[in-house]
Amino acid sequence: MCGIAGIYAYHYAANAVDRAEVRRIRDYMAARGPDGLGEWYSQDERVGFGHRRLTIIDLSERGAQPMMSADGKLVVTFNGEIYNYRQLRASLEAKGHRFRTQTDTEVLLHLYSQKGEAMVQDLRGMFAFGLWDAEKHALLLVRDPYGIKPLYYADDGWTVRFASQVKALLAGAKVSRDPEPAGWVGFCLFGSVPEPFTTYQDVLALPAGSTLWVDRVGTHEAKQYFSIADTYCRAEVTTSAIGNKADQQDRAREALLDSVRDHLVADVPVGAFLSSGIDSGALVGLMRDAGQQQIQTVTVAFEEFRGSSEDEAPIAAEVASRYGTRHTTRVVTEQEFQIDLPKILEAMDQPTIDGLNTWFVSKAARELGLKVAISGLGGDELFGGYPSFREVPLCVRALAIPGRIPALGDLTRWLLTRDFSPSLNPKAAGLLKYGGSYAGAYFLRRGLFMPWEVEALIGADTRLGLRRLNPIRYIEGLLEPKPSSSFCRIAVLESSLYMRNQLLRDTDWASMAHSLEVRLPLVDSRLLNQFASITARNGSQSKRLLAHSPRVPLSPKVIERPKTGFTTPIQSWLQRDNRIQEWRQVPSLAAYKCAWARRWAFEVSAPRRERNGEI
Amino acid sequence: MARSELRILALVTEAFGGRGGIAQYNRDFLSALARCDRIGGVIVLPRFGSGSVNALPTGVQQLRPVESRNAYSLAAVWTAITHRPIDFVFCGHLRMAPLAAVICRVLNVPLWLQIHGVDVWHDLSALQHRALESATMVTSVSRHTRRRLLHWVGIDQARVKVLPNTVESQFQPGPKPGYLLERHAAGGKKVLMTVSRLSSLERYKGHDRVIRTLPRVLKQRPDTIYLIVGDGDDRPRLESLAVECGVTKNVLFTGSVPPEELPDYFRLADVFLMPSVAEGFGIVFLEAMATGIRVIGGSQDGSRDALCDGALGTLVDPENGEELASAIITALDDPTRTGDRTIRFKSNLFSEHLNALSQFFSEHSRRSLRERRTSQRGKVTVSVPNAFRSFANDQQCR
Repeated sequence: MCGIAGIYAYHYAANAVDRAEVRRIRDYMAARGPDGLGEWYSQDERVGFGHRRLTIIDLSERGAQPMMSADGKLVVTFNGEIYNYRQLRASLEAKGHRFRTQTDTEVLLHLYSQKGEAMVQDLRGMFAFGLWDAEKHALLLVRDPYGIKPLYYADDGWTVRFASQVKALLAGAKVSRDPEPAGWVGFCLFGSVPEPFTTYQDVLALPAGSTLWVDRVGTHEAKQYFSIADTYCRAEVTTSAIGNKADQQDRAREALLDSVRDHLVADVPVGAFLSSGIDSGALVGLMRDAGQQQIQTVTVAFEEFRGSSEDEAPIAAEVASRYGTRHTTRVVTEQEFQIDLPKILEAMDQPTIDGLNTWFVSKAARELGLKVAISGLGGDELFGGYPSFREVPLCVRALAIPGRIPALGDLTRWLLTRDFSPSLNPKAAGLLKYGGSYAGAYFLRRGLFMPWEVEALIGADTRLGLRRLNPIRYIEGLLEPKPSSSFCRIAVLESSLYMRNQLLRDTDWASMAHSLEVRLPLVDSRLLNQFASITARNGSQSKRLLAHSPRVPLSPKVIERPKTGFTTPIQSWLQRDNRIQEWRQVPSLAAYKCAWARRWAFEVSAPRRERNGEI
Repeated sequence: MARSELRILALVTEAFGGRGGIAQYNRDFLSALARCDRIGGVIVLPRFGSGSVNALPTGVQQLRPVESRNAYSLAAVWTAITHRPIDFVFCGHLRMAPLAAVICRVLNVPLWLQIHGVDVWHDLSALQHRALESATMVTSVSRHTRRRLLHWVGIDQARVKVLPNTVESQFQPGPKPGYLLERHAAGGKKVLMTVSRLSSLERYKGHDRVIRTLPRVLKQRPDTIYLIVGDGDDRPRLESLAVECGVTKNVLFTGSVPPEELPDYFRLADVFLMPSVAEGFGIVFLEAMATGIRVIGGSQDGSRDALCDGALGTLVDPENGEELASAIITALDDPTRTGDRTIRFKSNLFSEHLNALSQFFSEHSRRSLRERRTSQRGKVTVSVPNAFRSFANDQQCR
């Protein structure tokens, strides 16, 4: 896990690469890679790569990056982990490739020389890299199937720059800071910035599961090589071939154990985040089954939750005891939150309404000396753990017919957002407008603000942003091709929108700020390929398969416990913190029943309003 | 049997026989396009310009200009029909893009659209939005223009490329020409110069900012004159401003000058400056730098490209009079003239890049035509033009 940076001055009129800029971009990401740094420049100074290294595999200097192939024709700067690199290496060695290091990075170089861009189909892992092909005189950018690792690029028409963080690109001081209205609107609507947008017009995220070529004419269109929707569609065809319950449990255990085993590949200890839920608990059990003897687990607890159902600590401690881990419960206080708040906002790469939980649990893990931790993130998307799997289909069934009556949705929305109904939940006004389709109902379920509320938050260019993002069409686009079952449709949306843009992004910035690599065995394309037909058949009952996959299954107390999520007492802290009180000036946010996330989003979008000169 | 060469219809405001920066750009573009691999011919329909042109580049056929808007639209459609087969349409101005998009739709051929600058400073009409969205590729004269376009239109950034101006070979370094020194009594004086139309619609170019700064410059360098080359309806305002600022003796208006004298005018100057706030690119910067004189431009528009972010000339905040005055004095104090600084903008590089862009265009055309066919499923069955299909296949095989 590292920070990568690169500049390619592809246009004939562009200035040569500015080495100082490469270093500024690279060194902004020092926390992502505190163990080493490197840079490389092509002879003609048209290409420059930078790298910050967090040593996890092959801790020696030989693993330093950017790494060049033996013949000097390929150079790579790589962030992430290739979990199946040993198998790939053995296969390449059998074909005559000779290796100089024990790293997964070198496997990328050999695999590319063997298969070219098609190499991406062979990779299991979380990764983002830039690869310079000197013979083609072209740059290849690649991002993993789910988009666990970030990769942002900015093409100004002469020069393309890329990095692991948006703020790093800006730190180079040559990328425009012109705001992207669609990014800001997306943040207000969803609580996170939907890719490929960022809050800056010139900076784009390379979409998950995509490759992008840059040659002398500039960037080509990104090519998608993996689609979650497509995987579910294919899985729906094969649900009849998955056998009985016992067969399914066997297949589930095998697939999950395979994923966990691969995710433990490291030359440093691998710990685990542990909550009171099924996902993290089952993964710890599977880590034990995979042969890991020493497991450090960590749970975050809050004084405010002590004795309540939201307190994760007691059950997490029970799970730790069941699997014999070295367990630590780290208590976070309001005072610590207040001290950390400026650092949190600084580390937040793009505006988001979440990530605080990951911030503190990552901090705790790093304090324990861990460089790598396993997380159960992704379980709710894969196994149907969210209420949306139940509520969205219900909503669509109820509103499909009224939703088709022309103009009725707009009319009711208009009526219900008049001044005489200020206390009405804004989503209620959008029920008829959106509730009759999967995309619309999902938007209502996950939406933070409704489109008609956004202008008050970010002001100028809201209409432009709404036009460009077109939120319902954006969601519909994620459902192409469209699975036939409601479970698979929601699984696609939760994985491709909420998890990708919110959970994965938050996990990245909040963990990397503490130089901690978080690994996600439940967010894995190979696992999805193996598992999608099982979940497509079982729907939300699939989670029991996970709970019973460890040789020593989770206790009934954990399995039967109602879902609580991983929460923090931020609402009460937010209301008491004098530095974040601007939301009180907005009547709808100051209302007693307003969700804390809406208030937090308002505070986080302050830079946009400042830019507009509104505060 | 499939044709192997592409025929292009170019709809432009003016090109051969026209005047101004856009006409020059179109001439350079169309001449280079006709020389690109596998391009069989370019039929140019201009709206303005001289009807009779002595010599056209090989492969270019220019029709008579049609000034009336409606007549031009009819002429464009008629030309598209009567000059078939047409393999793609090049549109040289955003104002014509809706017309070009309709013709492309009818002929089922891809659209290549060129934007220049001032055409995208403000939000576009709905028809222009649609035309842009239908374009397979858009070329922009500068990064700034591209950025402004992308602010308004949500099209894939990969489809918007930059192809800057190039500079003609008659702009070369040389001594100050005696006849101009005499004509403007400029002997022994330092000469600042701006070249442009003096149009009240183009006040962004910054002549007024230079005039307002002049008193500060004259305090330290009293032997300086400011030569304003060009003419137009904004001249009276600038003359009044010179009076108001008390610099009438130091501001000289040359009026329009013959094109053949322009290189000499650049050689007459010590510093060329145009502190513009809305320049698309500014070909005059290239012409000035090709003659080796010092150049000052604005830092907030397409001038950045011409000056290569300050590598070839000095960029100033055009609204900051003090910064502008300081840059002028620094430039005047350095009498050394450089050689031609526009090597990277020479026509050979322009042509090579245009050739690469035409290959990129062909690859993407095939995809967009396929998408269009898919979207038209159940309506009309159309086929990809044979020449284009053959061209795209060949490109893929390379």
